[in-house]
Formats: sequence, C-alpha cells, structure tokens
Amino acid sequence: MAILEIRHVSKFFGGLAANSDVSFEVEEGSIVGLIGPNGAGKTTLFNCITGYYAPSKGDVVFRGLRMNGLQPDKVCRLGMVRTWQKVRPLTNLSVLENVMVGALCRTNSLFEARRMAQEQLRVVRLDQKGALLAGALPIGERKKLEVARALATRPKLLLLDEVMGGLNPAESEELIQLILEIRKKGITQMVIEHDMKAIMRMSQNIVVLNSGEKLAEGAPEEIVSNPRVIEAYLGAEV
Amino acid sequence: MPSPSFIRRKWITSAGGKRVIPLLLLASGVALLALIPLSVQSTYALHIMILTFVSIIMGSAWNILGGYTGQYSVGHAAYFGVGAYTTMILLQFRHIAPWYGMWAGVGATIVTALIIGSICFRLRGPYFVLASIAVAEIFRVTALNLKDLTNGAEGILVTELPPLKFGDTVITDFTTKVPFFYTGLITALFVIFVTRGVQHSKLGYYFQAIREDQDAAHSLGINPALYKNIALVISAVFTSVAGSLYAVYVGFIDPGTVFSLDVSVQIVTIAIIGGIGTILGPVIGAIVLVTLSEALRSNALTNALIHAGLVNADSRVGVFLKENLSHAHILIYGILVVIVILFMPQGLLGFARRIVTRKRKG
Repeated sequence: MAILEIRHVSKFFGGLAANSDVSFEVEEGSIVGLIGPNGAGKTTLFNCITGYYAPSKGDVVFRGLRMNGLQPDKVCRLGMVRTWQKVRPLTNLSVLENVMVGALCRTNSLFEARRMAQEQLRVVRLDQKGALLAGALPIGERKKLEVARALATRPKLLLLDEVMGGLNPAESEELIQLILEIRKKGITQMVIEHDMKAIMRMSQNIVVLNSGEKLAEGAPEEIVSNPRVIEAYLGAEV
Repeated sequence: MPSPSFIRRKWITSAGGKRVIPLLLLASGVALLALIPLSVQSTYALHIMILTFVSIIMGSAWNILGGYTGQYSVGHAAYFGVGAYTTMILLQFRHIAPWYGMWAGVGATIVTALIIGSICFRLRGPYFVLASIAVAEIFRVTALNLKDLTNGAEGILVTELPPLKFGDTVITDFTTKVPFFYTGLITALFVIFVTRGVQHSKLGYYFQAIREDQDAAHSLGINPALYKNIALVISAVFTSVAGSLYAVYVGFIDPGTVFSLDVSVQIVTIAIIGGIGTILGPVIGAIVLVTLSEALRSNALTNALIHAGLVNADSRVGVFLKENLSHAHILIYGILVVIVILFMPQGLLGFARRIVTRKRKG
C-alpha cells in the first residue's frame, strides 16, 4: 500500500520550474531513494511534501489525506517529518533537549519527553552525549542528532535529506546501518543521497530527478543500467 | 570547545538535584526583603527599591519574549503605556480604583499584543525589531493626539487615590511608599516565579526551539506563529502591570514618559546587561541599572569621588563632574551596553558564571 503519493506535482519559482509534473508512490515500509544531479529539484520536492512550499500544481497525498498547503507543524503531527541537508541543531540546547523538543510533539509531559528522547538517543548511539550542547557536536554526530530528533516525533514517514553528505566512510556506513534499522521498526523512509553505492544498498525503489522532471523510476538494478540515467549523470556518448 | 553558553546551560539545569539549600536561601532572602520597610526609614531607599522592582518586572517580562523566544522587541513601551494609561484614565476620569483598573489595562494589553503580534510576527530578525519600534511610536503619537481621552501632552496627574479596602477594613491608604514596596516586591517575585515555570515546561522548550531555529522548530510540530504570540501575551501582560504600578506610584504620566522609545530601550537594556534567557539576568540588570542611574542623577558618584580625595571639589575636573555627570546617565547607559555586548555577550550573570566555572576547573 502506498503511504505517500506524489501526483503530478509542479513547483514554479517565477518562470523556473524547480519540479514539473513529478509523480510516484512510496510503498509503506520501504526505503525510496531520490537521486539526481545538483539542481534537479530534490530538496524542492521535499519542501513541497513537508509543507514548506505549496505545490504550484498537483497533489501530495499522505495516508489518503491531501496535504497541499498544510503547514509543516501539522504535517509533522500527521506523521511525516524531514531532516535538513544543512543540519539545524538547536545549538544552545543540550543534545537531549533537542530530541525532547521533537518528542514534545507527542506528549505534554517533560518527564515522558525525556524518556522518549533518551530512547531515540540510544537508537542513534548518542546516549552518552545527551548533556552536551548540540552546538558542540562534530558534523557526524549532528547528522545523527537530526535523525534522533526527527524519530522522536514518532513519524510514519521519515524524509532524510543527504544525511551522509560530508561524512567519512565509517560514519556513512554507520548511518546506512541506522537507516536499515529504522526500516525494521516499520518506519517508511525517503532518502536523498549522492552516494550511489549507499542508495543501491538501501533502497527498494529509486526515483531519478533531472532538471525538475522525473527521469526514471525503478529497482536499483534497473536504474544503474538505464541509459537515460547514465546520460544524465555522465553526459551523452559522443 | 565548551562555549560560554554551555556553562550557562549546566548552571541552569543543575537546579534539578539538591534543591533544599537554594530554596532556604531564597526563602530567607525574600523574608529579609519583606522586612526592609520595617527597619529602613529612608523614603529615598524605598523609592529606589520600588523602581528596582518595577524594572525587574519589565526586564523579566521582556526576557520571556526576547530572551527565551528570541524575538527582540524594542517596542515594549506600547504595552507599558497601554497599562499605565488604562489604569490612569479609569482612575482619574472614571474614579475606578487602580487595583481594578490594572486588570482593565491587562485586558487592553492582551488585545493590543495580539493585534501587534499578528502583524509583526510575519517579519523576522531586524525587520521585526524595526516594526516593533514603529508600532510603539504609533501609540505615543496617538496618546499625544487623543486629547479627549488622554489629556494629550499635558498628561494625567493623580489627584486622589482611593484607599484599598477589604470589606470595611482599610488595608492601606497609599500615603506612604510601603504599600507600593510590597506590591512591587510581590509582583516581581511572581514574574520571576512564572519565568521559572515557563523555563521548565513544554512552553519554554518550544520558545527556545523557535529562538534557536524557527524552521527546524516548525518541522518538529511547533507552530511558530502560535507560540510567538503566546510568548508575546505573557510578556506584554507583565509589562502592562509594571506600567500600571509605575503610573500609580509616580502619580503622573504623559506620552513622553510611558510610550517613549527610551522606555523600550531601557527594558531591553535591563535584560541584556543582566543576561538574556536566564531567570536571574533581568534581576541583576535591574539592580545595576537603577542603582547606577540614581547614583549618577543624584551626583552620588561625583560626591564619592570627592570624598575619597580622588578629585578636588574646587578643581576644574570636580566642577565639571558636578555640573555634568548628573545629566550624563543616558551616555553612561550607552557605554555600559557597549561594554557588556563587547566583553560579556552573556550579560553580567553569564560573565560571573564563566569566571566562577573557570576557577573551579583550574
């Protein structure tokens, strides 16, 4: 069953079409990879899905509900949460408090929020760093904090915007394992990533965007052998 | 690298465990303060303390919006003035006692705050600051021109204050400063208590999340417009109460004293000098600023320098200081703010904590 349906979504900025007529579905419980060259409209699509932009045309349907124009806080309460390509830690709050802010979306009790936050910090293996200021974390741990904070809102669908960007191979591997672990909990994920090997390993389905349009969609093995994708990434044969 | 704010956080959250000793200290401190009017006969000392309480209320109120929620309003004179004017108009022209009028002021302020908030919170950062200044100026000019309601530039002078009665027993007739002292003290304590409550609640976490990163907060299920308006209403209500208290205590208001940009800047200064986003920052800021400005105004500083033999009273420097230092309190304010911003961005409180922590470590 599809948890998220993108139906003919377009987003224009003036005359520029950042997304044009993009359609695909996200199966519940799966990991969908969203790839494409720089400027392909991946982050714009995330913004349209999570309520930061209203799509100019088309519909975003989450669990049967049409989401167009719903504000990000409502989207989050309905069970869809995103992380940020450029991490956004609440720098003057502690690591634990950052995650608590996420958990407070589901509870009014600080005590309960603290418990939920500690649980999520264990999942991303930051439980030893809860008392540190979020601003004091190195980039790899900030990325994990983003994931923990998003998980604390108890999402059904998690949208990860380049969580592995800027990480070393060991840290990336750790995040891949984390994403696979999150899938086992039944949380559907949509992942923007540049590392093709990582995307191939994680995703059941891959959507390729190019210049705002959907170029291809399919299983990882189909995508790597698709001539149009190869052309978009490496340029056409002379 | 542990930043100064790291230390700040540690200090604040360390209030969790051993609470008994701080509570005892607090209780004895409050008891001492409450006993002051019994032993201190000097009306001048009481006057300064009342002004300090009003400043604490204003600074702490601003701190909820500016310090915790990160919305730097430089237009809080609007709420101060709405409180002051509502109370005074009802008192002088409708003969309604100020302890009722004050609540009408609070009501008027809530309406004002929601209107201002719904407009100004569309803006972020410096644009919000400018809008808040502009709105307060609109109130000042309005108060100046609505002569039938406000007496315009003449202002409103209290000619009689009805005694506060409980049934038929007269509790106080407000002829001395003592009732104002207790009203100020209790209100100031209440605001500090509320700030503490906010900090240790979901509301406080949401306020701080918006301060740290509004877009991230929005993605985590926080409605920024809603929570900014909540912070503004709490902040405006206490500012309004401070305005009413000030107006009745001084007995005279005009647009230039309660609606002016000076008031807005003073409110922000109290919080910044003490340390924003902390419970005690505005308290320290208020004590420092009121004491300093009174010391300058009354020439106490010059007299002290002369007494200490550092400056000869008849020398050119002595005469210059005597003549000019009392008018220079605004200048000194400015210099103080610059020093604090440059060298103690966490305010006096943050600075003191940093030194203490450094000593402990090494």
